[in-house]
Amino acid sequence: MPTVYVNDRPVEVGTGKLNCIQAAEKAGVFVPSYCWHEALTVVASCRMCLVEVGERKPDGTVVMQPKVVPGCQTPVRDGTVVVTGEYAKRSGADAPLAYPADYTKVAEPGDRAKRAQADTLEGLLINHPLDCPVCDKAGECKLQDYSYKYGRSESRMVDEKNQPPNKPGLSSKITLFTDRCIMCTRCVRFTREITGTGELAVMGRGHHEEIDTFPGRPLENKLAGNVVDLCPVGALGSKDFLYKQRVWYLKESAGVCSRCATGCSVQVDTNKDIVYRLRSRENPEAQGHFICDEGRYGYHFVNSGERFVRPMAKADGRFKPATWGQLTPVLKKEVTDAVTVNAKGFAAVLSPFLTVEEAFLFATFFKGLSKDVRLVLGPVPVVGADDTYPKDVRGNPVEPVKFTIRAEKCPNRKGVEAVLRHFQGAVVPFADVAGDGLAAMWFAGGYPDKDQLEAALPGGWTAPPLLVAQDLFANVVTASAKYVLPATAAFEKEGTFVNHAFLAQPFARAVKPPVEVRPELQLAFDLLGRRGLVQAAAVRAEAAKAVPLLAPLGLDVPGNGVRLAVKA
Amino acid sequence: MGALTDDIREKIKGLIPLYPRKQAVTLPALHLVHDEMRTVSNEAVAEIADLLDLHPSEVADTMTFYAFFKGEGEKLGKTRLWVCRGLACMLRGAYELIEHCEGKLGVHCGQTTPDGAVTLEFAECIGACDGAPACLKEDVHVMNVTPERADELIAELKLKS
Amino acid sequence: MATYEPVLLARIGKPGSASLEGYRADGGYATAERAVKDLKPEQVTAQVKDSGLRGRGGAGFPTGLKWTFLPKDHPGPVYLCINADESEPCTYNNRILMEKDPHQVLEGILLACFAVKSKKAFFYIRYEYGDAYRALRNAVDELYAAGLLGKNIFGTDFELDVVLHRGAGAYICGEETGLIESLEGKRAWPRIKPPFPAVVGAFRKPTLVNNVETLACVTQIVKMGNDWFKSLGVPPDPKNPRDAGSYGPKLYTLAGHVNEPKCVELPMGVTLRDLVEVHGGGVWKGRKAKAVNPGGLSMGYVDVLAPLKGEDGKTEYDIPLDFNGPGKVGCLGLGTAAVTVVDDATSMVDVLHNTCQFFAHESCGQCTPCREGTGWMLKITDRLRRGQGKREDLDILVEVADRIGIMPGTTICGLADGAGWPVKTAIRKFRGEFEAAIRDGSRSRYAKSLAMAGH
Repeated sequence: MPTVYVNDRPVEVGTGKLNCIQAAEKAGVFVPSYCWHEALTVVASCRMCLVEVGERKPDGTVVMQPKVVPGCQTPVRDGTVVVTGEYAKRSGADAPLAYPADYTKVAEPGDRAKRAQADTLEGLLINHPLDCPVCDKAGECKLQDYSYKYGRSESRMVDEKNQPPNKPGLSSKITLFTDRCIMCTRCVRFTREITGTGELAVMGRGHHEEIDTFPGRPLENKLAGNVVDLCPVGALGSKDFLYKQRVWYLKESAGVCSRCATGCSVQVDTNKDIVYRLRSRENPEAQGHFICDEGRYGYHFVNSGERFVRPMAKADGRFKPATWGQLTPVLKKEVTDAVTVNAKGFAAVLSPFLTVEEAFLFATFFKGLSKDVRLVLGPVPVVGADDTYPKDVRGNPVEPVKFTIRAEKCPNRKGVEAVLRHFQGAVVPFADVAGDGLAAMWFAGGYPDKDQLEAALPGGWTAPPLLVAQDLFANVVTASAKYVLPATAAFEKEGTFVNHAFLAQPFARAVKPPVEVRPELQLAFDLLGRRGLVQAAAVRAEAAKAVPLLAPLGLDVPGNGVRLAVKA
Repeated sequence: MGALTDDIREKIKGLIPLYPRKQAVTLPALHLVHDEMRTVSNEAVAEIADLLDLHPSEVADTMTFYAFFKGEGEKLGKTRLWVCRGLACMLRGAYELIEHCEGKLGVHCGQTTPDGAVTLEFAECIGACDGAPACLKEDVHVMNVTPERADELIAELKLKS
Repeated sequence: MATYEPVLLARIGKPGSASLEGYRADGGYATAERAVKDLKPEQVTAQVKDSGLRGRGGAGFPTGLKWTFLPKDHPGPVYLCINADESEPCTYNNRILMEKDPHQVLEGILLACFAVKSKKAFFYIRYEYGDAYRALRNAVDELYAAGLLGKNIFGTDFELDVVLHRGAGAYICGEETGLIESLEGKRAWPRIKPPFPAVVGAFRKPTLVNNVETLACVTQIVKMGNDWFKSLGVPPDPKNPRDAGSYGPKLYTLAGHVNEPKCVELPMGVTLRDLVEVHGGGVWKGRKAKAVNPGGLSMGYVDVLAPLKGEDGKTEYDIPLDFNGPGKVGCLGLGTAAVTVVDDATSMVDVLHNTCQFFAHESCGQCTPCREGTGWMLKITDRLRRGQGKREDLDILVEVADRIGIMPGTTICGLADGAGWPVKTAIRKFRGEFEAAIRDGSRSRYAKSLAMAGH
């Protein structure tokens, strides 16, 4: 195995191509950087990741390069010696390498890199406004963090700083605080290499250069929001999030985006049970490094005042609020009676927004009433065609595809289908039962976009006499229901989604649902008469045991999810 | 489409076969437009980009790097007169010459005289150090520019307009 | 000193020196014809390599060795880029060659392309050289008309196209990968190396980048032979195994406070003193030289009066202008061998401000240390010349100058080294003058009227 020595620690690096930053990470040593990003081309221009490198020969002698090199641009191979600016803070558990005397005579190992990094930071702050108190990035700013950790404590710059004007018109959703920019060019490379839409460019030269768009061509592509995540400093700000929260108040949870079948791993930033921001949570198994704006800004429905927030029953043609205490026994009776009268005329609709666990328990309940109850896959919203990136200059897709926004606008069709197949051998699409003159229907929805749901409903659909509809927003289904139950959003529950490629990703609850909203899993527990703590993990284990396709979910699932084995 | 004349468009297209990639025609195309129109408007940038299968921002990225081309809203006068401020010229009176020209023309560097005759610029070393202080009239060196020679030159340029 | 008969400049000043007819009358293109017809490409490369020719663009890298870095038997295309972006302040030797004797350069291009099997040469010429561009345009057109460019050159299967490509005023285009990026239509941000252009160059193909004077030397080397070339200049220092010597003639340009600012061709190794005092006619206005920039702005400053260590009675003024000479007195190197004289009536504060102004204007802005460092150094020197210097400024300037560049490893290209060298050499060698200026709060006579032009 190729071995690299990072601050004296030998670490096996495998056969993949790694740079010094990555090799150091394997050895548990962090090398700070700005311009380098795994998904973008290497430009080696910020000069924050400067390290010292050399080679350890088989006989143990070490040859060191006299100057620092950018870690991002320097590949490692067997015997590479990497010394970082943090060398002096190494654990000391590893035997020191035999650094040549002429090398240590000039400076101790690590001192060159440490000095060079501090110099880079001093350079980056030369024209930086140091307006951290009013900067939204404060608290998660790499310039702030690294200056604190690796920089000088005071500025020696006494001259007037360059003050380029801010660019609020950069994009409808993004603003540029030009003076805070450190010219890492990640955002420019993103629009050239990932989206191919090329809205951003560097304009000008030298210390007067700026990031900008071409007049009349603002940064408006469906992945644009990623540049805010990519920006290591407070230059690019999301207008959606700007000045809403200080980031240190935010709680992070690991979520899965529910807005399309890609099922991007996201980080949900919340405070006091309000979702403030979604960011990409890197997951090579799911989407890679980025997320689309539909998902990024697609969380607002959860905070919407239009949501159903308590159960309601129709009386005299009007919906009246009800309590769960009153309603649960009534629902159970109505459903049981309907199945007793006409099991074949009863459809339980499980939407592709349900989690695997919810679908499994609902199916268990309804099939428990009678095997003749029909389990139906809820309407699957589809908008247009899959939208792949990058694009060429004319907007045509280019291979290799780096990101796909899927036409299927739901997170868990594959998961719900797995449950449906298990319980009744086949998936019955909603359209198949729509015209069947059903007697009763339980509609477990959870559609965040009412228009997408209604577009997915078969034309001329009419509600059966008894309809229990659970959803987030009023729509044509809930309008015809006898009982309307509030649904939860994906942020408000834990569970598992299975994406288009059969990647099953469990996710955590980010916020509590509104007080009178009872999560679907709890409701299923109530209907089944189960007692005890409602835990998605326990239900997941149960489903994994019962459904062979879901078997991998019975074990410890890695953070990036687990791919279900699908027969070709 | 209308900023570029058919003639310029044809000239730009004619350059494409000289290079392995269309993007390489960016600078020659910008020069063609700039020479003829004395500016490169945003519309012209977009049309160049279209001819070369580029995003307008890519052309603008290149164009602004060189600080040579006048963009939207700026237009060169009839003659562009650069005064070199490189070390060799500075040592032989370039700063005085710039001041002299500014006074004579009534404009600062980067500006055009109201009659549109002359756009005055400073230049970094123009490689005419054997004739310092030197000027560049469009792309032609004018050597050993004393204040008197500058006056003659300016008078000549004013007359030309 | 025996009078040296110029070779590279032999035809300068002759009537019709720029025309094909005139060039052929002087035996032009016979060398290329003989090489293309009688020699193998490898033989031409070997001869250039054995001649000891080192690049005239500034870095002094052995030319023939560079040619051999191109991959063997590459399916092509392979490109030659001619670096005529001559923008190093006080340098104009290439301009003279291109304006007055373009065919000497073009013959070198033919030879180089034959040697490296390139069918396409991109001649990147800075925009400010309008006359040179037109002379070349005319010369290239003449060659096509005469069948010396295009297909079947000299009736052989050798073919070559030369494309003239004009820059747009950016110093960094003289850096070979900056030149390539600019040629490709992008901002001239130098590339990270490796890969070097010889492997992945223009349009991702193997590319050789050579300077104009270098190519003129190639013409003369193939024409007159290595014995001639090696009879001129300075052989390698026997005490330095890495020294490749400084053979051949060199075009030195004189500028600044010298009586006769001109381009002179001399064997490598003329002393700075001889060049200025003899060939340049001495310092103007009867003054004395104080500082000299020995090879273009980037190389730093020589203190004319500072004693030369170990050389009794000699000063820094007596260094030889070969590839090693300027380095001996703390300068970056020979550079472009463009010599600029600063007389004793001139303030080094103004000289340094001018220097910093140039590099801040020309830093491409890619690497943090250079982008911010050159800008900072300009702001500090601007304050110095306004009489508002602080005691700590000089140390900061030297520190910043020391830490930016490819030599400490903090930038992608050498521009920052060139920006730092004049700063640190000026302050180290003329510290007293700077300190006095700070102490007295003296204001530059230029500070009143010229607003700092950062752009």
